[in-house]
Amino acid sequence: MKKRWPITILYRAFSSSTTSTTASFPLKHVKKSNFDSALSSLRHHVQAADFVAIDLEMTGITSAPWRDSFEFDRFDVRYLKVKDSAEKFAVIQFGVSPFRWDPLKQSFITHPHNFFIFQRQELPLDGAAYEFLCQTTSMDFLAKYQFDFNACIHEGVSYLSREQEDKALKHVNSTYEDESLDSWHSLKEIRDTHLFNIPDILFAERMKDRLSEWLGGLLRNRDGGSEVQPSFNDSKQQFETIFFKMRPAISLNGFTSHQLLLIQLVVRKHFKDLAYLRVSGENSCSQNVIVYIESESDKKMLMKEVKDEQKIDAEMSIKASIGFRHVIDLLSSEKKLIVGHNCFLDIAHIYSKFFGPLPLTAEEFISSVNKYFPHIIDTKILLNSNSILQQRMKKSSTSLSKAFSVLCPQIALGSKSTHLALQPSVKVEVEVDDIRSSNWNSGVKHEAGYDAFMTGCVFAQACSHLGIDFKQQSSSENLAHNEKLREHVNLLYLSWTNGEIINLSTGNRTSESLASNKRKNHYPKILFECIVIVWGFPSHLKAWDIRECISKVYGPTSVISVYHVDETAVFVQFSRAEMVSKFLDLKGSLDRNNDPISVLHPLAKLLEGGNTCAASYETYKEICSSTVSKVLFADQAKAVGIKWKTKLVESSDKTKEHESLRKVKAVNSDPSCGERTKNKNFDDHPCSFNGSRRTNTNLPIELLSEIFEELTDCENISHRAAVCMSFMASCHQNFLPSTFISSSISFLHCSHNHHQNLALSSNVQTHKHHQMFLPQLKESRCASTSYDGWLLTLPFDRKQNLYLSNPFARDRIKLGTAQALRVVTSISPLDPKCVVLDIHK
Amino acid sequence: MVPKFKPSPLRIRSFCTKTVQQNPHHWPIKQITKTNFNESLSEIKNHISSSDFIAVSLQNTGSFSSPWHRVSTFDTPETAYLKAKFAAERFQILQFAICPFKLQASKVIAYPYNFHLFPRDELKMGMPSYSFTCQTSYLTAMAKEGFDFNTCIYDGISYLSEAQESTVKVRMGNPMAVDHATKSSSSPALSVADTVFIERVRSRVKHWKNACTDSDIKTEALVTSLRKIVLGGEQFGSRPSMTIDVCSERQVQLVLKMLEDFSDVLVPLIIPAKGGGTQAVRAVLTSSDEDKDLLKRELQTFEFEQNKRVRGFREVIDLISASQKPLVAHNSLNDFTFIHSKFLAPLPPNMNEFICSLRLAFPQVIDVNYLLKDIGPVKKMTNISATIAYLKNRFFAPIEMEIPNQANENEGKIHGHNVVKICQLFGKLCSILKITPDAIESSDDFLASAINRYANIFYSLPGSSQEPTNEEIRGWTNDKRKVSCEDVVFLWGFRERISAGILKNMLQGSHEVFAEAFNVRMVDRSCAIVVFGKPGLSNTFKNVMNSKAVSGPLREMVSDGLKAAGYETYQRVCSSGLWESALADALDKTLASHNCLSEAAYETKQSEIYLSNELINLAEL
Repeated sequence: MKKRWPITILYRAFSSSTTSTTASFPLKHVKKSNFDSALSSLRHHVQAADFVAIDLEMTGITSAPWRDSFEFDRFDVRYLKVKDSAEKFAVIQFGVSPFRWDPLKQSFITHPHNFFIFQRQELPLDGAAYEFLCQTTSMDFLAKYQFDFNACIHEGVSYLSREQEDKALKHVNSTYEDESLDSWHSLKEIRDTHLFNIPDILFAERMKDRLSEWLGGLLRNRDGGSEVQPSFNDSKQQFETIFFKMRPAISLNGFTSHQLLLIQLVVRKHFKDLAYLRVSGENSCSQNVIVYIESESDKKMLMKEVKDEQKIDAEMSIKASIGFRHVIDLLSSEKKLIVGHNCFLDIAHIYSKFFGPLPLTAEEFISSVNKYFPHIIDTKILLNSNSILQQRMKKSSTSLSKAFSVLCPQIALGSKSTHLALQPSVKVEVEVDDIRSSNWNSGVKHEAGYDAFMTGCVFAQACSHLGIDFKQQSSSENLAHNEKLREHVNLLYLSWTNGEIINLSTGNRTSESLASNKRKNHYPKILFECIVIVWGFPSHLKAWDIRECISKVYGPTSVISVYHVDETAVFVQFSRAEMVSKFLDLKGSLDRNNDPISVLHPLAKLLEGGNTCAASYETYKEICSSTVSKVLFADQAKAVGIKWKTKLVESSDKTKEHESLRKVKAVNSDPSCGERTKNKNFDDHPCSFNGSRRTNTNLPIELLSEIFEELTDCENISHRAAVCMSFMASCHQNFLPSTFISSSISFLHCSHNHHQNLALSSNVQTHKHHQMFLPQLKESRCASTSYDGWLLTLPFDRKQNLYLSNPFARDRIKLGTAQALRVVTSISPLDPKCVVLDIHK
Repeated sequence: MVPKFKPSPLRIRSFCTKTVQQNPHHWPIKQITKTNFNESLSEIKNHISSSDFIAVSLQNTGSFSSPWHRVSTFDTPETAYLKAKFAAERFQILQFAICPFKLQASKVIAYPYNFHLFPRDELKMGMPSYSFTCQTSYLTAMAKEGFDFNTCIYDGISYLSEAQESTVKVRMGNPMAVDHATKSSSSPALSVADTVFIERVRSRVKHWKNACTDSDIKTEALVTSLRKIVLGGEQFGSRPSMTIDVCSERQVQLVLKMLEDFSDVLVPLIIPAKGGGTQAVRAVLTSSDEDKDLLKRELQTFEFEQNKRVRGFREVIDLISASQKPLVAHNSLNDFTFIHSKFLAPLPPNMNEFICSLRLAFPQVIDVNYLLKDIGPVKKMTNISATIAYLKNRFFAPIEMEIPNQANENEGKIHGHNVVKICQLFGKLCSILKITPDAIESSDDFLASAINRYANIFYSLPGSSQEPTNEEIRGWTNDKRKVSCEDVVFLWGFRERISAGILKNMLQGSHEVFAEAFNVRMVDRSCAIVVFGKPGLSNTFKNVMNSKAVSGPLREMVSDGLKAAGYETYQRVCSSGLWESALADALDKTLASHNCLSEAAYETKQSEIYLSNELINLAEL
């Protein structure tokens, strides 16, 4: 299931007035009964297709709230979350829509198929039962769109993954080859103890008589050629003479299992030329037969024959239960361009359901996906990364239904309004079971088949906007190799939340290019080494409380942000990586000691209750990789088996940190020439934190801005700047426009005097000026505003260094000697993407 | 309603035990979904209160995912509970059938209902459940019976457990009327700060009240609206109200006390904070005493309606619980772990706490399986129909089923027959065991004492019991032996798909401990249990396995990966929740974590388990 907003369509209103009739024949639903015929027709369509659009409906997306996609997901964690989702939830509907360009009609022809799939345990294989998870909200969503659960569970097409098939075949091979003939023959050791029982002995004697009678008759029959004796007409139902593998045989019916055991015993004991066999008959019920054999070699031959037949039967039934995977195999073997919409999760589902267990790392996954599907295009990326298409989309959302209604109005609205005709549109003709229409509307949204159709239409239209002329495109040429598409092929959103894109063919990860990114970067670059995950704290503590608690110990700028994973856990992002180990060390020692000092410690509030645990980001990853899914993160950590309260960071992480710092330097273009110097002295910070701020953050944002208008004192303004990070975090969490942040925290500075440590700050909005004490300004000439309070200090002496400094965090970044005149920073200097412009004289 | 008394032709027929309604497919069972839930409630309530017993039966989305997750004969009550708990926490109830019934001699008068449930997150709080697991085999089996999944998902009744309801109440932040319990009697001395706080609030309230009541004085609209902003007045329904922010529970008390001075017109309401505690006190202005009462009534009905909506199906559970009637179930441990986790509260970590907690809601639970034990051994008691057939062959205990319920229109899609079968079976058993007096009404006490013998015994699998078995039963089943947990050793790390017989053969010559009588049984494909006949040998064997002295064929097997652990390791597997699909993996993981952290040893001496040869055969698949 995907969360897509239903299109607010007016087509019903329009369609009445238009002349072109909107065909509304139903989607082609494929179930168990019509699967074989649908598969063979689909095979032709896919072979002829230029591209194939797909879409999946699942029983859920996240197995626990904390498994949702966060901005704090590193790519490997993101993959683990996708992996968990694909492993736990079931695919219940699969839409396949092959698109073929018809040069005669000058339009695309598509055959949308809507497969209901449901994996049944058809083979007696493993011990573990097939099971899947349902997310209640997803089920509710599907129900809202009238999803037919009965069709899915009663008549859905089953499937076997390649891995399951291999396993089943191996199992068959081992059962029929591993064991020698004899052991196979006497699977069950029959203990003689059964015959101590008088009724059993009598029964065995009777059976012996009957069998010898039958055998005698048989031999006579062969010699004399007379009819079979009607000697046991009383038990004709029980003893039925048949021919088994060209040999005369008795089929045993209506005996209890104990009696059959006794018969088996009798046969083995007294009849050298009879063999007892249990074979699986037609309709899968087993049949017990006693076969006449001529010699020991004949017996062996018979056994082999039976065994081979059973093996073939078993293999046949495995082949028969491949089911829907034939469609996937078809898509994979034809190597057609696969088109999906935001389809990383879809691909993961396809992999885990139809190929095998998902690999442990994203890298392995990507390389094997690329093997199975060499060309994949994601329409969501296409729409977001190309400026022409963005223009077409008029900056609207890139959800599938929205894209469909914006790009393909003639199909979505079912009409050809005049104003729409201005736009060159690709014609798409739908064919379902020999009914054709160029204005098709099945009327069923959120059916996988229809969604696949919409995806394909969006893609076709997007191609035409990109300048791909289908009229000139020769049918033999693969669309995926088209130079206009080349840069988009095999790019998938690893995470839509933070715009991380992965290239399936190279395995490279990139963030969405800034030019096309409509979403502003709210956060500075997330450095995962700086993150601590804290869970199990008292439930009344909120993000702000935790932030305050830690700030009391490490200073107000030590914590960049506190982000709720769920109600029981938070990410705390520190400003520097080494604080992670410091924090964990401190917490560890506080856990151990219970003296009054640790009770009075500022962190004691956080540790209240004694269940607070903390660890580095790596532990978070470890917890994510577990197959367990508890609803609350704290319970999850317990279920994963974490018994410690604090996991200290090993020294090896220190080297990692250095590496990452080096990376930051490498990315930074200009500030990289310098080094970051840190002022360790946090305790005598100019900003004193008082309780009033706590209530400030609880206020609505509109009020906050007004409050700050009222502040005239320069120190108060510095407070405001110092808390701006938390504002940003809260603003971000409330999805407020980023404009607010930039306007209200504008901060203008300049300094005049040679030896003064005072800076004059002026507020552009109020035109008021304030003086503030800034020791860093000594010997410096000028300071200019920048992102959240960073100042540029220019020394009077050209030979001295140029710094970017944060008066509140007391961080300084050396920029080298002051050859430059002006420096402009657009984003936080801590962000590796920060670019500093300097003009040399 | 169809008349409760059947016409006479049926009565005559009842002598030969075959009435038309004896055929399960004609039992009219009332199917209840969201659409007809509310209208049926009062009827159900009546039937519950007039019944003697209530039978319950559940249809879940699954039971156990791996063979070893199934409750088996080698489980102690504790591990059995842990297994049932694991299932109850993951799977979902889709159908809940209840059947209040009366026993009258050889007649059972039953009113079966089958509720279709679906957990819907109506409050968008991830409740009643965020997600649930489905086992495909269960769904397929339900599909074969003609189960309508669409009805279930579109139209199933949602619910909240008691525990969830109380958190929801807090989270919804509905104003609560102040009852006298909330007002604390003790009033410690007022500090200066308290006095200042009270006086400040008092003056605010006074001003606001005056502003509201002085409406007759014509003022400019601007002034009124400004005053509104300044004084912070709001509307509560149609009445003006004012919110007083508080920082602590102490302040709540102070404000409430202060508001008593205005009690003639002001009604204080408490606004709970999202994380618990109190966010604010709201004072609502009423025009008169009648208006005050009206407001209080309004609040009550509002709360009542909302609670009803939130509770959903749990209303029925509450009715059953309030009736204190004995409940009859077929697989009580399984069913009641589900009921506890979905409708009462999350399951406690051990069996004792579970039984205590359950007893508060349902004082008497009778498992028909346990009643069966008094009759004699029934080979496979998992199937109710088979058990009924078995009893029919053995005993003459005709039971007439009378179901006066209204017949359903869609006869083809009727579910919930099991619950009627349970009633039938219970009736038969009562008549065989002679625990049903002729007139129940006259001798309630007698019945109670007779039933008490059977009540609340949850772990009553074939071949195990918490009560000492009497000689007679032992005579019937000489295969059954009592085995102490100490004599059981779990073995794993051998070749997969090995049979118990082969394993036994391999072990026989490997070490001298196997010279004595011992038994091997497969738990799942990866793991087997070895039961030593002679006490003490298991320890010798475990010691040998862990020492360097291991030699001969056993050494060979250990080198190939054979491992052994005692019963306490298995108990730890169950309690730590390491439900791997193969028991061998779970045991390995437990041993690994145990090596790091040594915990208190489990007491296994008292717990005894049963093993029967009959089940040994079962496992040799």
